[in-house]
Formats: sequence, structure tokens, C-alpha cells
Amino acid sequence: MTNTYITNATWALTGEKLDLRMGQNLDETPSEFLNDIPLPGVSAVAPAGQMSIPEGARRIDASGKLLLPALFDMHATISLDGHSKRESIYRAGQAANQGGVWGMLVMPSKGFVFDNAATLDSFSDAVSHRSFAAMVPAGCISENMEGTHQAPYNTLAARGVNILSDGGKMPSDLLMLYRAMKYAAEIGQIFAIRGDVPALTNKTYAHPGTTSYRLGLHGTPACAEEIGIETLIRLAKDAGARLHIQTVSTAEGVAIIRRAKAEGMSNLTAEVALHHLLYTHEDIGDYNTTFKTVPPLRDRSDCEALLIGVKDGTIDCIVSDHTPCLPFAKKQDFISAPQGMAMLDTFLPVLYSELVKTGKLTWNELIRACCITPAQIVAPRDSEDDNPLLAPLLLFNPEDKRTISSEHLHCGTLNNPLLGQVISGSVTLPIS
Amino acid sequence: MNPRKDLITIEALSDEDIHTILESTSAMKDIFTKSVKKVPALKGKSVLTLFYEPSTRTRSSFEVAAHRLSADVTTFTVSTSSVVKGESVHDTIDTLMSMKMDYIIVRHKNSGIPAVIARHCKAAVINAGDGAHAHPSQAFLDAFTIKEKYGDVAGRRVVIIGDILHSRVARSTSTILRRLGAEVAYMGPGPLVPPSAHTGIPRFTNWEQIFNWQPDVIYLLRVQNERIDSPFFPAADYHQAFGVTEERLRRIDDLDMSIMHPGPVNRGVEICDAAMEYRNCLINNQVENGIAARMSILYHLTPQTQSND
Amino acid sequence: MPTITDSEIERALDNWTRHILQGPAGQSCNNLAIVGIVSHGDVLAQRLVQRLKNAGCHAHYGAIDITLYRDDLSLRGNRPALRSSHLPFSTDDLTLILVDDVLSTGRTARAALEVLWEYGRPARVELHCLADKGGRQLPIQPDYVAFNLSSECPADVRVHLLDIDGKEDITY
Repeated sequence: MTNTYITNATWALTGEKLDLRMGQNLDETPSEFLNDIPLPGVSAVAPAGQMSIPEGARRIDASGKLLLPALFDMHATISLDGHSKRESIYRAGQAANQGGVWGMLVMPSKGFVFDNAATLDSFSDAVSHRSFAAMVPAGCISENMEGTHQAPYNTLAARGVNILSDGGKMPSDLLMLYRAMKYAAEIGQIFAIRGDVPALTNKTYAHPGTTSYRLGLHGTPACAEEIGIETLIRLAKDAGARLHIQTVSTAEGVAIIRRAKAEGMSNLTAEVALHHLLYTHEDIGDYNTTFKTVPPLRDRSDCEALLIGVKDGTIDCIVSDHTPCLPFAKKQDFISAPQGMAMLDTFLPVLYSELVKTGKLTWNELIRACCITPAQIVAPRDSEDDNPLLAPLLLFNPEDKRTISSEHLHCGTLNNPLLGQVISGSVTLPIS
Repeated sequence: MNPRKDLITIEALSDEDIHTILESTSAMKDIFTKSVKKVPALKGKSVLTLFYEPSTRTRSSFEVAAHRLSADVTTFTVSTSSVVKGESVHDTIDTLMSMKMDYIIVRHKNSGIPAVIARHCKAAVINAGDGAHAHPSQAFLDAFTIKEKYGDVAGRRVVIIGDILHSRVARSTSTILRRLGAEVAYMGPGPLVPPSAHTGIPRFTNWEQIFNWQPDVIYLLRVQNERIDSPFFPAADYHQAFGVTEERLRRIDDLDMSIMHPGPVNRGVEICDAAMEYRNCLINNQVENGIAARMSILYHLTPQTQSND
Repeated sequence: MPTITDSEIERALDNWTRHILQGPAGQSCNNLAIVGIVSHGDVLAQRLVQRLKNAGCHAHYGAIDITLYRDDLSLRGNRPALRSSHLPFSTDDLTLILVDDVLSTGRTARAALEVLWEYGRPARVELHCLADKGGRQLPIQPDYVAFNLSSECPADVRVHLLDIDGKEDITY
């Protein structure tokens, strides 16, 4: 068995310079740990310059590059309208690797309705043939995500489903949801739902404020999300279900989750979408549909509260909320255009450029929020060794500056807000 | 005025643009007094009115304006069914492009649609009202009407009363008046008047505050229950709480204030019958000035259709 | 650059007034209107009307903005603000003297005639101008020219009048 040696890499978490010997089989149990992080595929680690490397061995000089575990994205929607499922899977996998993401939780969507065994089987089949990245499907809460009848949770669980979601939609029938939570709690399913009160947010398009006034767009009240979060927490508590709050966008939303966790609710996790940490409603400018998201981009003070939530652990993960939208669809007017950003291609470079490089987030916090915690949440609990999904390593060159053009976007669409902008950092994944 | 293809919002115009269009409005109005009420300025040019929302008044006003400039006017009927079927604006734009129109006058219930059309068309696009966003031709005729009445807009106080939240008229008219140096305030049912922090405009919620503020012009918005999916306020309350009642009209008269309204008026809702006959009621002036203002707008825009395509 | 001074313009206006008084129009001042083309012809027309009045001839004064009648309107990107036309009388059966500052291609005069006809049916129209630059493109000839520069074929003729430009001269 031949080995590949990586020399002079900088371990992102501590800044140590290291040499590594890479084994070939990524599936084998990790033999090495660094700062409690398992290193699958690595058979030896030594301080830089202290590893004896045989003549003729394959070497990768990683001088100037950072070494870190690849990211796991807990929230991606991958279906591309008008393209085959295989194409959607292939594109998302390519985009993920470029963005430093080795695996993702795929939300059910119109193209991938994970409410039956057949769909899940054909999905995992397509993923195994076509994808560069691991893709874990999230099962539907309700049949066809219509919010009326429960999906067959045991059938889904038998296909490896561990998390249930209606793709960001909060079921409006709370009785259905309450019963679903009680039933599925017994088999350890996690409910991943975004806090919302659909009656309050129907036909609203932006955060109520200067932008919504200026552009004449109906405002999405923050209280709808907060009431939704509160409702979900109480339902889950009562039903004994595990709950994961998706894409929190408001300061008060963070506060509610913080309170619930402080009161000892251990089955609760939460995520924030990267764009909610970076952008505000003002970025919508003159109806820029790339910045149309659900929930909407809010105030700077919300961005700051969300970041504090990430740092103090109230918010467990930062997700891409990757949503590819075809250029044609995004060229429509703001109200007709679909919501969402396609952030996978640039995920790690943007996290680095906007948060780590600017000192808002440490590498430790980033790796916890984008790699370790999401993998722990998603990993099946019933396996005996309770192993999280094991992240492979990646190399990151923080000095590599690029102007993002359509060629850099492998996800198949152009709704990335960084198109045309310069960002720092390029990813090598997989390393060898 | 520098060449400008479209008129989508007042915000997009320079001060010079605003002054020039207002100045020409006055010259356009003189044309009505001639025996020949027509000038050849846009002879051979084609104007399309594309209204996704019914509006006889605004549409006819634009059509008369275009006729007086000798343009050919086509009315594009957008069947509600094709909208319901989800015919995208892009499909319509493709159709429009092949018609080689020089000017497109568009109204749509979605904020932002005219801007999308303008981006993809060589024709000059005039926003005749989009959702709750903008209605710039209304803003010009309002500013002109106030200028005509008072000699200057600067220094005047105007209160706009009604459903501010859903009103494109409130947005565009307040913007132009403030750009011209007037003071603007908003008044209406609490939930329908956005906070000053969002608008930069003082916010009142009852008539006493208005009378204390002493505006020159009372600008009433139309109550448009048809545009609101679920009611924001009890409609039966409106006249009593926010309308110009006969009693309030007496005070308005005493204080020599003017009354304006973009029309059509709901008598007994925004305004009592007597107010329509009030000496300082400028509503009919607004209608007449609307044609002149729209002529001026058409004249000052420069389509890119004559460039070799 | 040759210049015609303010005193020369002053003298020319005197001669111009005399010419009008001695011509057929001067015989019936009640039926005479001096109509200037905005934005310099109207100032000249005003001065002529004043001079005629001093000589006892009370002619009507009018001003027209011909912008909307220009044949090159759609070719011009830059649209100037319009000025109001001012013809507060019926032109039926009047003798109209159309006054412009510089006559060149004749296109302005053509547009001006079109405007005039929308106000009635004048008995007779004369075309008078301060300077003739030459370079006619239409079969239009002036009835009176104060300064004929056409033989020198100047590239540009600029008229400045005190009321508008703050100085008074003609450069060419």
C-alpha cells in the first residue's frame, strides 16, 4: 500500500506545523486524533520536519496552507428545476467540495420528496454513483410535504433517515406535527423545522424596515419566526422529541433558544444560515433578487446577535442553506422570483474571508459550528460506538484571492451574492 | 435634461431632471389652450399601454398625453387568465420587444415589475404604478398642481392621509415634494402608517395633530380595500376617523388649506360631498395637470429604439 | 474671431425698426404682430415691439417655442426644458413678422411656420433675422437680415443678448 505524505501543513486550530502520512482507506477507524478531532485516513502525524519520508513517496508540500477537517453542511437543497436528479446531485457534490464541504444533509424538496422508500433508494443509488460529497437525506415530516398526513417514519428510518423536515416549511397543522413528534420521538428522529407562523408571513417579502418601505414590499414580521420557535420548543418538550431549529434570523429568536437551553432543554439544537450572519435587508438595494431569502435578511443588530449566538453555543451550526435557483427565475421581479442563495461553492472561503479573517470567529468556533456539531447531530445515534460522521481533511490556502465568476460556480446556477467579488481562500478537497 | 430612458421612480431622477420635467409641464399645459391641441413631437412614435391592473383614469390620461404629442397608441390587453396561468413577465417582454414599441407604460400589482421590463427593453418604460412601490407620473402632477397653486413647492407643508403602507402614491409624491423642499407628514390608521424610522417622515394618527401641524395641503389617499387581501382596519370606521367630514371641512376652510386626492374619490369615505365643491379643492386641477405632466414625461424620455438595431 | 459689438447691434435694431415701418406691414400697425422664436428671437422681438411703439406703431408681441416641432427631435438625446409659447391673440388675417437670431439651414423657420398655423390663418408672414449664417437646406429666404454673414461662410455664429447672456455681441 502506497502512502501520501503531506509536509509542512499548518493545523488550523492551533497553528502547529505538521507532517502527515495519509493511509488509503478512508473508512478505517481513525488511528490518530489532533486536539480530540479524529483524523480518518491519516496513519501518522509528526511535527513538521520530523517525519522520515521514504524516497520516491508521493509528497504534497502544504507550506502556507492550512489543514483542517472538511465541513458538514446541515442544510442544503439541491434540486435544480428542469434538470435530472442525477445532474442535481452531481452539481451539488462538485460545488460542495469546492466550498470545503465533504458532506451535507439534503432537505426534501420538490425534486426530492423523501417520504417513501423508493425515492430514498434511488437517491442513495444516484449519490453513490454521481456525488463527490456525502449526502444524507432528511425525510419528510408529512406526505408530499403538504403538512396534513404524517410520512411513514419507520420506513424512512430503515433507509437511514435520522432527521425529518418539510424543507423549511413549518406545518400549519400543529396537531399533525404534535402527533408526529410523539410518534417519531420513540424512534429517535430529530425534527428540523424553521420557526414560522404561515398566516403572518404569507405574501411578505422582506424585513419590515427602510428597505421594505422604499421598495413597497410587504414586511415579514420578526414575531412570526419567534412565535414559531416558541411553539416548536413547547411542542417538542411536551412530545419528548428532539428538535433542531432551522435558519434562525432574529435576535429575539436567539434569545428564546438561549432561554430554553438554559432551562435545561437538552434535545434542542439550532442553526443559522451563513447569509444571515453577513447580509442585511439593505443589500437588497434595487430589488436584487439574489438577496431574496426566507426568512428575509434582517437588521445589522440581528446579524450581530446571531454571531454572538454562534460563539456562545446557543446556535449550534452555521449552514449554507444552499438553494440553487435558475438565472431565468431569479431575473423575474422580486415578488415572483424564488427565494434562496446558492452558497455551497464558496462556503469555506466566505466563512474564512468574512468571519475568521475579520476576527469575528476563531477557527475553533468555525470547526465546531460547521464540522463537528452538525456531524454529531446528523450521525445516527443507534450505532453502538456512537461515532460522529468522520470528516476527511482538507487543505486551505488563505492567500489565494479570486474574483468569483460563473466558471467558479459548479452548483449549476448563478444566485451567489459573491459573483463578481474578490474572496480569499481556495480549497483542496479531497487532498490526494 | 440628460438622456434618460426610463421613469421608474422619483428617487432615480436628479434634481435637474425633476425641475426640467416640471418646467416643461407648464409649456405642455399651454398646448391645451390652442385651437389645435396637438404637437408633432412624437410623430411616428409608438406608445404601448400595458396595464395588468385596471385603471381607466391613469391609462386614459397617458393615452391622451400620447395623442397630443402625435404618437400612435396601442393598448395591450393582458388577460387576467394568462396572468393566473403564470405567464411570466419575460414572455410578455419578448412579445413587446418584437412589437418594436418606443414607449411602454406599465402598471402591475407587483412592486418592481417595471424595472424588470425596463432592463430588458430598448423602449422607454414609464412606471404607471407598481404595487406599493412607486407612481412617479402621479408625483409630477401633484408637485405641479401645488406649484401652480402656491407658486413654489418649497416651504409648503403637505400631509398625506390614508393607507400609507400600501400606497405607491404616498411614496412617490412624498419623495418629489421633499426633494422640492416641501415638508411632508403622514397620517392614517396606526397599522397603516409605517414608523418614522423607516420613512424619515413624521407620523400622525389623528386630525387634531394635523390641525396643530398646520399644513397647506391635505392630500387624501384612496381607500383601496380591493388591494388588501385581508382587512387591516374596520372600513366602516374610516370616514369618522380619517375622512374629511363636514365638520373638518369647516376647519380646513377656516385655515385656508387645499385638498388633493389622486382619484377616483370614494365619496363618504375619504371625503364628504361638500368637500368636492370646496373652493380650495384641487382634485380637478390634478386630473388636467396629469395629462400635461405625462406629456412632459413622454417628451423628456429617450427610447433606445431609434439607435440602429 | 470677428465680433459685432453692442452698439452695432443697437444701430441695426434702429434700421430694422425703420425698415418695418417703411414696409407694407408698417402701414397697418393694428394688424401687425412681431413673433420671436425662443430663446433669442423673443428678446429681439420684444425690443422691436418697444421701438415700434416709440414710433407710434402698436404691434402685437408673441413668442413661440418650436422645440416640439423640430424635425430632429427624435435624433436628439438631450431634451431641453420647454418654454411656453406666448401668442395671446388670434393670428387670423394678421401680418406676422417672425424673428430669429441666426438663420442657417431654415429648419427652425420651417418648424416656426408649422407652429404659427396652429394659431390661425395669418394674412402674410415675413421672416426677419439678426444674422444670416448661410448654409440653407430648405427653400426658405429671409425678408430682412440685419447682418448678412453668409458670404463669409462662418463655422459658428453666436448671438449674445444682454437680457439672457449678460453681454451683448455677435461672434463668428
